Amino acid sequence: MTNKSNNGFNTWQKSFEKETKKNFSDAISETDEGINIKPVYTKEDLENFSFVKKQSLPGQWPYTRGPKASMYTNRPWTIRQYAGFSTAEESNEFYKKNLESGQKGLSVAFDLPTHRGYDSDDDLVMGDVGKAGVAIDTVEDMKILFNNIPLDQMSVSMTMNGAVLPVLASFIVAGEEQGVDRSLLSGTIQNDILKEFMVRNTYIYPPEPSMKIVADIIEFTSKEMPKFNSISISGYHMQEAGADNVLELAYTLADGMEYVRAAMSKGLDVDDFAPRLSFFFAIGTDFFMEIAKLRAARTLWAKIMKDFGAKNERSLILRTHCQTSGVSLTEKDPYNNIIRTSYEALSAILGGTQSLHTNSFDEAIALPTDESARIARNTQLILQNETGVTKTVDPLAGSYFVENLTEELSKKAWDIITEIEELGGMTKAVKAGIPKLKIEESATKKQAKVDSGSRVVVGVNKYKNPKEPSVDVRVIDNNRVRDDQIKKIQAIKESRDTTAVKKALANLTNAAKDETNLLVPCIEAIKLRATVGEVSKALEQVYGRHFAKSLSVSGVYGKHFEGDKEFMKVESKIKEFENVNGRRPRVLVVKMGQDGHDRGAKIVATSFADMGFDVDMGPLFQSPKDVAKDAIENDVHAIGVSTLAAGHKTLVPELMKGLKEIDPKSKIIVFVGGIIPEQDYEFLYENNVSAIFGPGSNIIESAEKVIDLISDNLSKE
Amino acid sequence: MELVDKIFKGERAAIAKAITLVESSKDTDQQISRQLISELIKKPGKSIRVGFSGPPGVGKSTFIESFGSYLVSQNYKLGILAIDPSSQITGGSILGDKTRMVEISKNPNTFIRSTPSRGTLGGISMGTREASIILDAAGYDFIFIETVGVGQSEIVASNLVDIFTLIVGPGSGDELQGIKKGITEYADIFIVNKNDGELKMEASKTAADYKSALSYYKKLDELEKQVLLVSAIEQTGMEDVIKTINQIIDQNKLKGIFDERRADQLEYWIEEEVKNIIASDITNRLTSKGNISKYSEKVMKNEMSMYEAVETITKDTLKQ
Repeated sequence: MTNKSNNGFNTWQKSFEKETKKNFSDAISETDEGINIKPVYTKEDLENFSFVKKQSLPGQWPYTRGPKASMYTNRPWTIRQYAGFSTAEESNEFYKKNLESGQKGLSVAFDLPTHRGYDSDDDLVMGDVGKAGVAIDTVEDMKILFNNIPLDQMSVSMTMNGAVLPVLASFIVAGEEQGVDRSLLSGTIQNDILKEFMVRNTYIYPPEPSMKIVADIIEFTSKEMPKFNSISISGYHMQEAGADNVLELAYTLADGMEYVRAAMSKGLDVDDFAPRLSFFFAIGTDFFMEIAKLRAARTLWAKIMKDFGAKNERSLILRTHCQTSGVSLTEKDPYNNIIRTSYEALSAILGGTQSLHTNSFDEAIALPTDESARIARNTQLILQNETGVTKTVDPLAGSYFVENLTEELSKKAWDIITEIEELGGMTKAVKAGIPKLKIEESATKKQAKVDSGSRVVVGVNKYKNPKEPSVDVRVIDNNRVRDDQIKKIQAIKESRDTTAVKKALANLTNAAKDETNLLVPCIEAIKLRATVGEVSKALEQVYGRHFAKSLSVSGVYGKHFEGDKEFMKVESKIKEFENVNGRRPRVLVVKMGQDGHDRGAKIVATSFADMGFDVDMGPLFQSPKDVAKDAIENDVHAIGVSTLAAGHKTLVPELMKGLKEIDPKSKIIVFVGGIIPEQDYEFLYENNVSAIFGPGSNIIESAEKVIDLISDNLSKE
Repeated sequence: MELVDKIFKGERAAIAKAITLVESSKDTDQQISRQLISELIKKPGKSIRVGFSGPPGVGKSTFIESFGSYLVSQNYKLGILAIDPSSQITGGSILGDKTRMVEISKNPNTFIRSTPSRGTLGGISMGTREASIILDAAGYDFIFIETVGVGQSEIVASNLVDIFTLIVGPGSGDELQGIKKGITEYADIFIVNKNDGELKMEASKTAADYKSALSYYKKLDELEKQVLLVSAIEQTGMEDVIKTINQIIDQNKLKGIFDERRADQLEYWIEEEVKNIIASDITNRLTSKGNISKYSEKVMKNEMSMYEAVETITKDTLKQ
């Protein structure tokens, strides 16, 4: 530091300390990522960079400033709203409406049974059909989905990872039957199975065969579908599950490296497929951090791909889709979500995303309505048309703070990537359960910060709205959806050539036994009207179905509450309970149906255990009947049902029935947590649910309520 | 007792409530559970109790899931008592067994109960023994007792079962040194898991290592210790396991070892319980008299030696 600038800084520091009555060092705060944020940054903070180049231009190495030279000045980002509504017919209507109102690409959400490779008529998926997305059982559903939408002109993004083979095959066949050759299809399939094992849990097969399937799809598309992105490597769900930005960034890029290796093992040259890899990040409320993350991601990816020997410039460039954070949305005071989403959207734009989904404000409660979806889309239209953000490329370049943050994030992420590589890559790390555990630890810390009030969430733990507005939400009659789907499957099964279908499925099973590319026999089977479930089962015969072991963190939540009054109150209530009842209160925490989002369940389990509960953790994908058996055999006092996919209206009454079937006098109480529209509260209470905890519920308060309910219930005996 | 009849009928909720009673730390519950057990032992069932232990990471639960599935497919009724290590900081536990026994937990012919260990040695307590009596009375053919392998705990667990099984992983041959020292006395069967894929060679080698090491430890009147190779994930070797278990049980019954063992175990538990009662009585007396702090002060001031203090306190405590 030169003397002159040093003097200037000293003077500033004095003024700062005088104004704030704080030492400069006390004014430094630490982010979730463990990065120190200073109250001011100077030119000196641009020194000693190892990743970010101080002077680079957009569209040039290392692409920190953007994948293209002109960026939004030439063409703004693509507004791509993710949506799927129960049936192919409804979704099709919704898509056509959106295309008319200025949207340029489609994004399909599938329902959980489709993700997990089950047909709608499978008993296992009773409560899940048409929830959280559209049900696809056969290519006929896919054809309805894109009815009157020309697939050679519209880019289609499909969030599909588990059942990628039958779904992509259906898309290809639907295109062909529309008269569009597969080489003209454009869009993306998510096809990112590694993160499923870490956070989202909508996998079907074990990690190794799943990686083979990913490689098959990369191979097939690189040869036959030049306009189609074979994979969207996603950090989104990691952040949603509670990962901080360093974990999201590092694990996503490490996943990417693993996919590159998988494709290269098929004998492909890196430049044959790398230009068609795409990414998907979440954008949360930490405004500058999110901007820095996108800049860091591009910087690191360019380095990674150069190390893989990529020669084509397009192979070096990270292109990404972004979505505003779902987990930042609150059920309380829900109109605040419009504001949150707007800032998040601005972060994504300043970070240089290629396409964006903005969440609807009611998504913490239900699937969006037409009205809320319009507001979400308008958020982006206003940014594009009114704010002027499209006029200058990477406007924050040169900001001492943002450049420094980009470098810091890159460094921290690189350390984790190096660690994973030393372990032998992401497949191995995932099998060992390391990333999953790290993400859960981060999630639990974040939750503890909100519950203890050290992180403010407006309308939730501070500035609460005394008059909560009531919001109309979309209601789905999933029994009707399921009945309709079952009828359609039956009709197709009656009209198809059964012998040919059987033969095609047998071919597929055989193909799974060697190295054949599975998409080819899959397309044959789908053409003959084999169902998604049949195709998945044909492969399951060889690969088996994957069941995850569940590891849990402990002590992470409780650590944030040492000396906290509310926390100690619950602890002492539990001790008292133990003295009176001869054991601790025991709670079974479960997920039912095909919904694999287990962040909430995990956080509840670990925090309740930290307070002193004995917590039984149920496996994923349980049926209500299985849950009842578990609960009774372990003689738990209560069952906590975590629900995020709207299956509760079917599954909770089934659970109640199951309990009474085994023990007509069962006194086990049931509470429900997660995404539950207020309209469903009455229904659940009528079905003897004792308590409902919506998103953003304070866990300590919830725990206290649960222990009180259990005590009351026991004293009634 | 109404509960007794329900247990004999095999009612799931009654079995569960009874296990809660025997595990309870409440005096009134303990009284009821004593009555209950005295009723239940009048009509003993025919269950074989099998202990499973092994170090973390060898795929114990996966093995039990796999072997258990095989047993229920052969129409056996199976009860599982799983001891889960408790968190020691707060006393609350996360009991995650069920996430590893997905398939068998659904089967109507199984009863699976996990118990937090509460810091006792390997989690085995009087409660575990009583729980196995309840499952026996309820008509379960096999009762599995699963513990976490932490040295001493195997010995306690082996005192609860008719057959004790140690599950190990490939490449654990290095641990043989430790195994020689004690566990051979307690374990009847050694199961080398993960005999699949890349680990197959390693698993066979490990099994051979165990076999040769164990052959030195054969007692005259006992069957040779068995070493079996299985793959829990591929479900291979399960028939061998049940065949071996049945063989050992039959042999032991024939030679009288089966009953002898149960008698020895009973002695062990009586002794343990008496010791427990005496120990807690002594602890109470010690605290109420406050002798320890009184005499340690004297030792600190060099008024007496530590040994004198110990002798005085002991005499005074046992006086009553």
